[in-house]
Formats: sequence, structure tokens, C-alpha cells
Amino acid sequence: MSKTVVKSNKNNIKPITMVIYIFLIILAVIYLAPLLWMLSVSLKDNAGVMAAPFALPEVFHFENYVQAWTLGKLGQALINSVLVCGVTLIVSMFFGAMAAFAIARMRWKFSEAMHTFFLIGMMVPVHCILIPLFVRFAKLGLTNSRFGLMIPYITFSLPMTIFLLTGFFKSMPGELFEAAAIDGCGIYGCFFRIALPLCRTGFFVSGLMTFIGNWNELLLAMVFISDPMKKTLPVTLTYFVGPYATNYVQMFAAIIIAIAPTVIVYCMFSNQIVEGLTTGAVKG
Amino acid sequence: MDKILRDKKAICIFVAPALAMFVLVLVIPVIQMLYYSLCDYAALTPPSFVGLANYKKLFFKDSTFRIALKNSIFFMIFSAVTQQVIGLLLAVMLTNIPKGRNLFKNIYYLPCVLSSAALGLLWAFLFNPKIGINNLLAKFGIEGPLWLMESKGFIVLPMWVIAFVALWQYVGQNMMLYMAQITGISRDVYEASYIDGASKVKAFRYITLPLIKPMVITSLSLNCIGSLKFFDLVYNMTQGGPNHRTEVLATELYAEGFNYFKYGYASAISVVLLVMCLVVTLLVKKVIKVETYES
Repeated sequence: MSKTVVKSNKNNIKPITMVIYIFLIILAVIYLAPLLWMLSVSLKDNAGVMAAPFALPEVFHFENYVQAWTLGKLGQALINSVLVCGVTLIVSMFFGAMAAFAIARMRWKFSEAMHTFFLIGMMVPVHCILIPLFVRFAKLGLTNSRFGLMIPYITFSLPMTIFLLTGFFKSMPGELFEAAAIDGCGIYGCFFRIALPLCRTGFFVSGLMTFIGNWNELLLAMVFISDPMKKTLPVTLTYFVGPYATNYVQMFAAIIIAIAPTVIVYCMFSNQIVEGLTTGAVKG
Repeated sequence: MDKILRDKKAICIFVAPALAMFVLVLVIPVIQMLYYSLCDYAALTPPSFVGLANYKKLFFKDSTFRIALKNSIFFMIFSAVTQQVIGLLLAVMLTNIPKGRNLFKNIYYLPCVLSSAALGLLWAFLFNPKIGINNLLAKFGIEGPLWLMESKGFIVLPMWVIAFVALWQYVGQNMMLYMAQITGISRDVYEASYIDGASKVKAFRYITLPLIKPMVITSLSLNCIGSLKFFDLVYNMTQGGPNHRTEVLATELYAEGFNYFKYGYASAISVVLLVMCLVVTLLVKKVIKVETYES
């Protein structure tokens, strides 16, 4: 048995491999078909969708995109999403790196305890803080504000960031920091000039997880923001569930617009993204 | 050097921002939530302590909560079983094919990075009573069921549909985790086993499975917590309907808290959710024992 396996490996493809390939291709179709079909629907008109939903569009109705963009205020939503996720990304990376550096590199009694404390935070679902935080924010006037939304986003990005970056900082050779200290570098110099620049992979991985997670986040954004001008992309989409529910072509155009940035970035860097996210999850 | 690394002031400065945010936005709200769950608290009146009344009502009087609890547990078990098994299967297949591994991997992983709010809308449309899948079935003379509106059965049909969509979206995550672990196993171990006469199946059973156990813990707990917290797809596909039959804990919490403004009651639901998350994580760690084979 094992002999034939070795032999056939070199010459031709085994039947079992063929079966696997056929299965994988069918599965790939199940994954891609709905997305491509969505693209096709978004270019039809409503009557065409009702008559033959699976046919390709005869005339391309690009005006669906224009209408979805203006009616759904998608431009504003895009700006809001970029703003909220961007600021969250930068702040959580910076705060996370600082805490991770102290935990991984500095010598103090509670560094392990602090690490565990942040890790436990990963298990707490965001739903648990929803009501107390909403009540508090309503009193402080932080509801309905993009700044208010960033606060829980940053906090819930911290555990993963700290966890990943601690691993990266720990793996750096100690001699680097010793050499820097001999040359007169203080602790802040060690952090800014050595630890941060050397941790690019760590930032890429944790930044990716943070950004994708927050970009797609729906519940917090829905609870905290009610002003249409401040809504993020996922919340704007739920808008099409209600009053525009019968206007399918526009809904699909809106969905395409909403997922297009992610799809484009994913196609450009898919290997790094998949590797990066897995590194993150494996360490988590 | 040692002196620099023991600089107390620097440590405080480094840890302070993250710790402050953590305490203010996570720890204190969780404690408040525990207190609110023991209170009668509607949006406009201050909380008044009522003891365990909310929990009594939840478990003994609220039929919607029972449906939500049942659905969440069903969803967790279904997701855990199917996503783990299929994810592992895909990982094994992909690590064994000579070409195209990256292409397939990237395709299956794509939905994981997309917004589930958007994908929920897409699938809700595909399972529309007239237009999507039923239109295809009608061409073969089959009358499809009302996928997202059926309300009969212990676990209603829409729940199965949502669970299927979740499987479609997130199985790539488990596949990736297992692939990372499997490609990390040294080829030598397999070669040695083949020389000793082991078949591929036996090699899988006695080499792959034991060596990926640590990943099973990670993947399974991520999976379980993820499905307990599940909100986006349900909200955008059925909004808990028809007649609350597809309510899960997260949507029930949202409805009680932000549609009916019963803060105290919703807090009790989030306590149940938190306890379930913690219990499941601990259970997964306890049940799956990891033996270390090599350093």
C-alpha cells in the first residue's frame, strides 16, 4: 500500500486527489457564486430581478450605485468608518504597545498578573458592558458621537493587541536593549527607538485584527449612534432592511460599496492577511 | 540596565493608559451590570434593588428568553461540531494537495473578513420566499419552503438556515487555524510512520490528531464564545422573527435593552451570557487534556 502511494506521487495524480480537487472546486463555487450573483443583481433593475433573478443583466444600471450612495448616505458612512476605525487603530496600537512593553521587558512584581488581567478581558463579551456604558455615556453626552464610539472600540482592541505585542517584545534579544542602555539610551529611548521599529510584524498582525473587527462591528455602533450623519457602514446597511427593503437593487449596490474596500484590500494582500490573522489567532 | 528596567515611574506611565481604559470601560461597567441585573431599572427611573426578581422572571416566566437560550445553545453546539469537523477536514485536504493550496485557502477565508451585516442581507435575500433559491427550485418543479419564516418545530427552520450561513462564513477561520498547526508538524514524523508501515489514515489518527490538540482548544473556545455572542447575522436576516422564534441571547438582550428600555432585565440576560461564556471556556480547557510530546 505505502509502496504504491510513494510511486504514484511521483508520476501521476492519484484518483483520491482528483476527488479532493473536484470537492474543493465545488466548494469554491459555493463561496464565490453568492458574491458574484450579488454583483449581477446590483446592476439590474427591480423588475428584472423579480422576473429572472439569476440571469445576467441585459443593461447595466450603474445608477443603482449612485442612488444607493446618496440615499443611504454611504459617502458619509465611509468617512465615519474610516475615521472611527483609523483613530481606534492608532490609539489602541500605541497604548497596547506601551503596556505590552512594560509587561514583556520591564522587571516588576505584577507583570504576570497584569498580563493575565488583560487576557481575561478577551473573554468578556461586549454585550455585557452595553447597558452600563450606554447609561454613563448618555449622562456625559458621549452617545451619538464618533469619539464616544471609539472609546469602547479601543478598550476591546487592547487585550488582543497587548497579548500579541507582548509575545513579539519577549522574542526580541535582550542584548539589543543592553547595548542601547550602555550607549546612554533611557527607557523611553529603548521603547521608541528600538522596540517599536523592530515590532513591525506585530503591529501589522494586531492592527489587521483590530481594524477588520472594528470595521465590521455592528452592535455597539447601532446602540451608540443614532444620528444618520454619524453612522458607520455596517449600521447604514441595516437601514436598507427596513424602509428600502423592497428596493433590492439599491440594497445590493449598497452592500457592494460597503464590502468593496475590504475585498480589494483582501485581494491585494490576501496571503499576508491570511497569514497575519492566523498568526494572531494561533498566539491567541 | 537593570536599574532602567526597574524604573517604577516609567512602568506606571507605560501601563497607565491601557489600564485606565480597561478599568473604566470594562471592569466598572461589568460590576455595574451585575448590580443592575438585581434591580428594577427602566430608562427614565433610577435603579431600585429587587434581588433576584429579574432572574426568576427570566427562567420561569419569560418564554421568549427560553427560546433565545435554546437557540443560542443549539447554535453553539451546531457551530462547534460542524465548523470544527469541516474546518479540520478542509485543512487536511488542503495540506495534502500538490497545487492551488493558497488559492482555495484565500477563497474560503474571504467571508471571514467581510461584514456579517452585509452578508446577512445577501443571504436573507437568497432565502427569500419567492426570489432567490426558491426561484431556482421552482425551475425543477420543487416548491421550496419559506426558509426564514417557518415557525414550526423544536429548532425552527430559520435557525438552521442562519446556522448554515454562519458555517459558510466562519468555517475558514477554523480551517486556517488547523492548517497552521498541521503545517507546523515535522515531515519527519510522517516519513517515519510510513516506514513503519502506517497508512495515511493511521498517520492522521495517531500523529495529526494528537499533535493538533492544543489548537482544538483555541479553535473550539473561539468558536463557542463567538457563537454565544452571535448577533449580526440574526439581526439582519430575521430580526428575531417570526414571532420571536429565532431570537438568540444577543438579539433578546438588544431588544429588551434598547427597544423596551428594560435595563435591569437586559442586564440579567447579559449576566447569563457572561456566565455561559466563562463556563464554556473553562469546560473546553478541562475536557481536552493536552499532553506535551516535545519541547
